[in-house]
Amino acid sequence: MKAAVLREQNKPMEIEEVQISKPGPREVLVRPIAAGVCHSDLHFLDGSYPYMLPTILGHESAGVVEQVGSDVTYVKKGDHVITCLSAFCGHCNKCLTGHLSLCQSPEVSRDAEEAPRLSSGGETVHQFLNLSSFAELMLIHEHALVKIREDMPMDRAALIGCSTTTGVGAVFHTAGVEPGSIVAVIGCGGVGLAAINGAAIAGASMVIAVDMIDSKLELAKAVGATHTINASSGNAVGEVIELTKGGCDYTFEAIGLKATAEQAFQMLASGGTATVIGMIPVGTMVELHGVDFLMEKKIQGSNMGSNRFRIDMPRFIDFYLGGKLHLDQMISKHIKLQDVNSALEALKTGEEARHVIMFDQ
Amino acid sequence: MAIETLKSEITGTVWKILYEEGAVIEAEAELMILESMKMEIPVEVEHQGRIQKILVAEGDPVEEDQDLALIEVD
Repeated sequence: MKAAVLREQNKPMEIEEVQISKPGPREVLVRPIAAGVCHSDLHFLDGSYPYMLPTILGHESAGVVEQVGSDVTYVKKGDHVITCLSAFCGHCNKCLTGHLSLCQSPEVSRDAEEAPRLSSGGETVHQFLNLSSFAELMLIHEHALVKIREDMPMDRAALIGCSTTTGVGAVFHTAGVEPGSIVAVIGCGGVGLAAINGAAIAGASMVIAVDMIDSKLELAKAVGATHTINASSGNAVGEVIELTKGGCDYTFEAIGLKATAEQAFQMLASGGTATVIGMIPVGTMVELHGVDFLMEKKIQGSNMGSNRFRIDMPRFIDFYLGGKLHLDQMISKHIKLQDVNSALEALKTGEEARHVIMFDQ
Repeated sequence: MAIETLKSEITGTVWKILYEEGAVIEAEAELMILESMKMEIPVEVEHQGRIQKILVAEGDPVEEDQDLALIEVD
């Protein structure tokens, strides 16, 4: 099969022939129909986060089941599915206490002693986040996918595979935004826009979108922002405090930077909660003013929207088909697999929300 | 000869150890792979040397800044 292989960080991926193993007892072979190109992929390509190389990036996809392992009963050939990197074991401490997105069980990936799921000429190609969706086929654990209704457009479904679940989930699950709350979201990429939409669905009275690009702020309004602030002024915190007359109940950082994580905290009213969704580079420290804790300000992280994706994703589909969740506007362009490098370059400029790879059928 | 301590940059689990004690390892080669939040994280040695001691085993949980191995370097 063809796949986009990353062999060296900060170098373009190459489209190569890659071999894929047969499904083990609890594995499923999926043929992707659509795969979103996410900023998180860029973090690994540019070295902000390390990863074993060579690897096939991509982690946001929707597809059709091609083959199932001998013990798989949840899906069958032909089922439409969305994949999710929050593959869960279902029986560890985290899973049994409802924190499936924090499952650390190794059983969802193959043992180091087993034949790898992906290889190239006998060399292991490391599977990215147990998925590797920039490929014509994906071999994944059965707990890394959810079966979905077949009337859901697959390019929109792919977005639910990561950015939507991450952003909306951060609002619903990690932060628990209440109706009437004042919310600010820093960063209007795919995840930030999803958080803005999520805050609107949650009934926030004010949803403030903060970004440096006007086109992104316009998009934010289309998905639920009530106010926008262009951070190019250099005083986004001051503008948010003035607009809200004292700060926000909830803020969300959806870029992955030290400065904006600190700003998310600074934008809070007393008792407020900042949620950092963005992937801050390894080794970066975040600094907070200690006195602010006397005002019961809180800061927390969010991993993939603290999801229970087998419940969340079908709900998000219903939200989309019911007109509450805005996915159409999130897709900037449909591309082919061979265009994946240009899609990642486009993400660097921050001008566009999402390119989606549409695979030939 | 100096002893360098290889440390973990993240909290995770030791997934695979790629060398045995006593082996010579090249500069920037991966001594082991950690798994954290679904990511496969390579742990590279900075300088060429001989692996004096591996302080963890496959499957062990590791904390950020934990010592993973001792490398004899010239």
